[in-house]
Amino acid sequence: MTILDEILSLEEYRGLSPAEFFYRNREIAGFSNPTRALYQTVRELVENSLDATEMFNILPDIYVEIKELSSTENIVSVTVRDNGIGVPQDEVPKVFGQVFYGSKYKLRQSRGIFGLGVKMAVLYAQMTTGKPCEVRTAVPKSEYIYSFKILIDISKNKPIVLSKRREPNPNKWHGTEVKLTLEGNWSGSRSRIVEYIRRTALIAPYANITFKGPGVDLRFKRVTTKLPEPPEIGKPHPKGVDIELLKKLISGYKQMKSDPPTLQEFLVECFDSVGEITAKRFLDWAGFKHDIRIDQLKIRDLEKLARRMKEYDEWRRPKATPLSPLGEDLLKKGVKEILKAEFATAVTRKPSSYSGHPFIVEVAIAWGGEIKPSDKPLLLRFANKIPLLYDEGVDVSRKVVDHIDWSQYKVKMPAPLAIITHVCSTKVPFKGVGKEAIADVPEIEREVENAIKEAARRLRRYLSKKERELEIKMKYVTITKYADEVARALAIITGKDKKVYLRAINRLVESKILKKKVPSRVTVRRRK
Amino acid sequence: MPLSDKEIIARLEKLGKLVATQLLKGNPPYIEIPVRSLKNTIWDDKRKILRLGPAKARREYLDVKSAKRFMQTLLMLSLIIMARREGDYPTIRDLYYMGKHTITYVDVDGRRKKEETWDDQRESNSVIEDIEVATGILREEMGIMHDAKGKIVGNIVVRSKGYLIDCSKMGSGAYAIPPNPDRLEIVKVEADYVLVVEKDAIFERLNEEEFWKRENCLLVTGKGQPDRSTRRMVRRLWEEFGLPVYVLTDADPYGWYIYSVFRSGSISLSYESEKLACPEARFIGVTTTDIDRYKIPRNYIIAATDRDLKRATELMKYPWFQSDSWQKELKLFLKRKEKIEIEALSGHGFKFLSHTYIPEKIEKKLWIV
Repeated sequence: MTILDEILSLEEYRGLSPAEFFYRNREIAGFSNPTRALYQTVRELVENSLDATEMFNILPDIYVEIKELSSTENIVSVTVRDNGIGVPQDEVPKVFGQVFYGSKYKLRQSRGIFGLGVKMAVLYAQMTTGKPCEVRTAVPKSEYIYSFKILIDISKNKPIVLSKRREPNPNKWHGTEVKLTLEGNWSGSRSRIVEYIRRTALIAPYANITFKGPGVDLRFKRVTTKLPEPPEIGKPHPKGVDIELLKKLISGYKQMKSDPPTLQEFLVECFDSVGEITAKRFLDWAGFKHDIRIDQLKIRDLEKLARRMKEYDEWRRPKATPLSPLGEDLLKKGVKEILKAEFATAVTRKPSSYSGHPFIVEVAIAWGGEIKPSDKPLLLRFANKIPLLYDEGVDVSRKVVDHIDWSQYKVKMPAPLAIITHVCSTKVPFKGVGKEAIADVPEIEREVENAIKEAARRLRRYLSKKERELEIKMKYVTITKYADEVARALAIITGKDKKVYLRAINRLVESKILKKKVPSRVTVRRRK
Repeated sequence: MPLSDKEIIARLEKLGKLVATQLLKGNPPYIEIPVRSLKNTIWDDKRKILRLGPAKARREYLDVKSAKRFMQTLLMLSLIIMARREGDYPTIRDLYYMGKHTITYVDVDGRRKKEETWDDQRESNSVIEDIEVATGILREEMGIMHDAKGKIVGNIVVRSKGYLIDCSKMGSGAYAIPPNPDRLEIVKVEADYVLVVEKDAIFERLNEEEFWKRENCLLVTGKGQPDRSTRRMVRRLWEEFGLPVYVLTDADPYGWYIYSVFRSGSISLSYESEKLACPEARFIGVTTTDIDRYKIPRNYIIAATDRDLKRATELMKYPWFQSDSWQKELKLFLKRKEKIEIEALSGHGFKFLSHTYIPEKIEKKLWIV
C-alpha cells in the first residue's frame, strides 16, 4: 500500500488538513527520529532529483551535501542539486509548500509519488528547526534562476513564501536545488546514508553522484551514457481495481464536464488491455448492462463492479509499458562498478503480473573481487530503482536466496557472493507502510527465484571454467617444476643427455596440456 | 642364490628405462607400484605368511596428485643405481640427504616458491620401499644400509668380507647382525634350535649364563620390534639349516605381535615376507596361561591398559592369529586383563627362566603357533 492509499482509506482523517495529518503521523513516512529523518530526507530529495532527470531523458548529475550546523543539538542542513527539468516558478510554492498538490495519480513506475515525500521533509524540517525550505530552480531555457524561501501553514495546508528572488541565467542552467535545515543525527545515520548513495549509484549507473558529508566525500562517475527507456504512462489494469480508484476515475469525467460514457465505454477507455469484446464479455459475466451510464451507478453498484472486476479471470495480462527496468546491460555495469566484482551477470525477466499489476524482476549476481566472503550471500534489494535498506529479513528476496542450495552452483560458503534483486512495478507490494520489504506474493517470488537461478547458472558456468583453467595451470606448474629432476634422473639411469628428456617433457606439456588451453592467458582478471 | 650386483643394476635400470621410453614416445609416463596397505595384504594360509595383494597404483607424471611421488621415485632410483655402479653402500639417511634438493618455481598465483624434493626421511624411506616392491629386490640386496640392531651368539661360524667370525667366541658380547645378512656366508652351524628373545636384557642374561652352550642353541635378539636383517638372519637359519625357531616375548599384545612378525611378516612390509618370514616359528611364551601354570606371584602381575585391550582385540581379528591356541590365549587375556613381563619368571629365582621354563616348554612341546 502506498502512503496515499493509506490516507485515502482513513476516513476519520478526512476532516484534517493533509499537512496536519502528516504532522501528526510523521513516523508513517519514515520521520520517526532524528537518525531516520535525516536518512529519509536525503532519500526523498535524491529520488525526486533522479525522477526529474532520467524520466525526461537527461543524464543525471546529482550533488548531495550534508553539513552539521550544531552537533550538540543535532542540527544539520541537507542540500540536493540536480540538472533536471526544474519547476516552473509559479508552481514552486505549491510544489514545496502544499501537501497533495501535483498532477500525480498517473500510473507509471516512478520512485515515489511525486512531491509527497519532499513535502514531508519540508514539514519535518520546519517542525524541528523552524527554518524554511530554500529552493533554487530553473526550467530548460529559462532566462532566470528563481530562489524561494518557503514555509507551510500547517492548519490551512497553504505555502507561505518568505522571499522570492530571481537572477539571470546566462549559462542556461536548469534543474532544482533544495536546501533543508532539520534536526538530524549524522553520526547515527552516516553508514546508512553512505550505503544508500552507493546502492543508488549501483542502480543508476548512468548518473554522476557526488556526496559530501562531515568526513565523507564520495564521487560516483557514470559508467554509461545509456539511459533506460522511460516508462510510458499506463492505464490501470481491471484486475487491480478498487472502489476508490473507480470513484476517482468517474469523478474525472465530472470534472471534464463531458457526457458520462456508458459502462462499456468507460471500461475500454479507462483500463489497460480492455477492448470492446472483452468489456462486453465481462459485463455479461458480471451481470451489468452494457449501456448503463456511469453517473447512474450507485455506491452499491460500484462495490459490486470492483469486486467482479477483481474476480474475473479472463482479462488479458497487463501491459508492461509503464515499467522501466534497468536492463541486463546497465544492471551488470552498475553492479560491476560499485561492487568491484570479478564476475557479474544480470537477468531481466519478461514482464509478468500479480492482481492486475504488471511487474518485472531483474536480478544480478556478483562474485569475487572486492566482495567480502560471508556465510550468507550478500543481498542488495531494490524496488523501482530505490534501494531497500531496512527489514531485509522479511523480504521475499531474502527468503528465495536462503532457500537456494548454492553448492549446486559450485559456490562454497563462505563465498564472496552478492545477489542484487530489483522489482519494478506500478504497484510494488510492500510489507507494511515502511516500504522497505517486498511481500512474498507468489507471482513475484516465482519470478525472483527463476531470475536468481538463471543468473546462478551463469555463475556456475563461470566458476567451472575458472576451475578448469586453474586445474590446467596447476598441472602445468606441477609438471614443469619437476621436469629438471625427472630429466636428470632419467639421464643418470639411461646414460642419455638430460636435454633429450627435457625436450620430451616440453613436447608432452605442449601436446597433453597446453593444447587444451594456454596457461599464460589464464589470469585472474580484476577490475581496477 | 643372492643376485649379483650386475643383475640388480639391470633390474633397477629396467624400471627407469620403461619411463624413459614412454616419455620419448610422447606418452604420459607412469610407474606402476604394488599398493602397500592392510587392504592389499593377503594372508597366505597355506604358507602361513603375509603377502602383498594384486592391487597396483600408478604414479603418473601428468597427474597433479602423483607427480611428486613419480619424481621422487625416479630420483631415488637414480641414486641407488649410482651407488650400485660405484659399489657404495649408502644408508637410508645418506640417500635422504643425497636426494634432498630445493626446487624453485613460479606458482599458479604468480609467486616464486620453494619446495624440497622430500621433506623428511619418512618420505624418502617410503620411496625406497616403493622401489623394492616395484622391482622385487630388497633394499639389503641393493646395498642400502640401515641401523642394524640384531645380535646373535652361539655355535655358528660366518664369513664376512673374507673374515671368519666364530660367534661362540664373543665373550660377554655378541655378533652384530649386519644390514645385509645375504652377504654373509654361513660356514658352520652346530645347534639344535634358534631361540629369539624379544628383550636385549634377557638376551644378555642368557648369554652371561652361556645358556646357548648348555642348551646347544643359537641365541638371537631383535631388541623389540625386529629389523629386517634380524628377521632375514633367522629366516636363513630356518630355511638353509632346518633349525626350529622359538620366540620368547613379554605376555602382552605387543610381544605377541613381535612373534607374529618373525613368523608371518608385518603389514607394512608384507612384500618382503617371502624372504623374511619363518612360518614355522613357535611361540614358547610368555602366555597369559603361564600366570596360573607357573604361579606367578601377584606383585609381578600388571593390569592391562585400554590400549593393550584394544590391541588384543585387533590381534584376534588378524587371520594369522586364528589358531585355536591363539584365540584361547587372547580371550583369556581380555578376560583377565592382566599382563606380565618375561622378568616375572624371576619370581621363582633368576635361574628359573633358563633352567626350567625354556627347557620345559621346548621338551614338553608347550609352545603355540
